[in-house]
Formats: sequence, C-alpha cells, structure tokens
Amino acid sequence: MGKHEIRLRRQRMAARGSDRFRNYSAVMKQHGEGKRIKLITRIFTFLFLIIALIIVLIVVSRWEKKQTDPEQKSAQKENVQNAP
Amino acid sequence: MTEDEIRKEQAIIERSKKDPQAFGELYEKYFDRIFNYILRQTDNDELTGDLCSQTFVNALNNLGKYEFRGFPFSAWLYKIAGNEVNKHYRKNKGKKIFSIEELKVRELVEQTTDTWDEELINRVIRYMNELPTDMIQVLELRFFEDKDFKEIAFILDMTESGAKMRTYRALDKLRTNFNLKVKYDG
Repeated sequence: MGKHEIRLRRQRMAARGSDRFRNYSAVMKQHGEGKRIKLITRIFTFLFLIIALIIVLIVVSRWEKKQTDPEQKSAQKENVQNAP
Repeated sequence: MTEDEIRKEQAIIERSKKDPQAFGELYEKYFDRIFNYILRQTDNDELTGDLCSQTFVNALNNLGKYEFRGFPFSAWLYKIAGNEVNKHYRKNKGKKIFSIEELKVRELVEQTTDTWDEELINRVIRYMNELPTDMIQVLELRFFEDKDFKEIAFILDMTESGAKMRTYRALDKLRTNFNLKVKYDG
C-alpha cells in the first residue's frame, strides 16, 4: 500500500460548490493582520538589536576603563618612587 | 492562455503589489480552480476552504517576491496550494488522499471492450493506490488539471523530463497491466 489513498468520486466537482468558502474580504483581513504582526516583529527586533548594541558598548567601555586604571595606578606609583 | 491575457494578468499583479484590493480580480478568477485542486487532495470541504484561503493569503503576502517566469500566474498559485496541502499532511501525519472523479477515470481510460466494467474501475483505483505518490501527483496535474509538463515541473519542483518520465511509466503500467487503451498519448 502506498502513502496515499485514492478515492473515487461519483459526483462532479462543480456540483459540490465552493461559493460558501469564497470570501476575499477575509483574505484581505488575514493579510492585513499578518502585515501588522510582521511590522511589530520588525520593530521589536530592531529595538532588541539597538539595546544589545548599547549593552555591548557599555561592557566594552567598562572593560577598557578597567584595563587603563591599573596602568595609571602603576604609573602613579613609579612617579612617587622616582620623586626626589 | 494568450500573450495578451498574460500581459493583462501581469498588469493586475503589478497593481496588486501596491494595492492588495486589486488582487481580488485574480482571486475571483482562480478561486474555483485552486479550490478543486485542493479538494482533490483532501476530499474535505471545510479543510479545503481553510487551505484555499491560506493559499491566497500566502500569495498576497509574497506577491512582492513573485517574478514572471513564462508560466501563467495560476502555476504559482498551484505551487503554493500544493505546499499548503503537503504542510497539512506533514503536520497531521495522515495519508494523502486523492479524490478522483469517476468521469475523469472513464475519460482517461478507453476500454477495448464495449461494456464498461465496474470491477475494472476498482482494479484501476487499486492499481493507482500502489503507485508512488509523486507519480499520482503528476498524473493528477496532467489529466485532471490539464497542465503541460513544463508547468507541472514548476509546480512540483522537478525537471520537465522527470515529470514526463513519471507520467509515461504510469501509463505504460496501465496499458500492460489492464490491457487497456489509454486515451492520452501526447
């Protein structure tokens, strides 16, 4: 047996009627909702990226500050020791 | 489809990219065909209504990506509809259904004997149940939707020669297994 099932239909397709499912305004509505969700997702993604970038910048600047502080301290110490 | 019709359709598509309301004309034009195509693969009116609606929503959502490749716009809709049906079966892990009109089977197979045998139809259906699914898909598009091989290849994402090979193999089997004269040879 295959992965499908063949059914024989005695009735013609057209006789079954598809008109009750024909609704373009519902399609438009769904399309509008989809568009809105897409826009909101884009805005949130953009905001998230900006926040992430700001956090990275803060972390990097703090790290740089920490790196420069010991150098300054050791330089000050040397100055004190070499003072006449 | 004439070149003039294709040009008109392209104009509607371009308009629809800016104004989705314009897409309504194509919706009205192709709704029945897409509905019947999905119905043949589900045999369920309500489910077909949902999948058909989703097909047109997807088409509208992705209209900006649509490019004319020498096929009528309907080929693109058939492709989206096929993807929607496959997605449904993958999600529900069900057996794919092909609901075929008896009249179409009678049209496809011309009997060599005078009387039409009910048992013969049942045997043909049983035989079709044994064929690989992709072969049935090609047969469906070729004989029940009257698509040419180039369009079938586009809809099913296969090569044109692959579509032809599947069709001829299935028809050859029909001829030899049932000693039938298959109507279509083109």
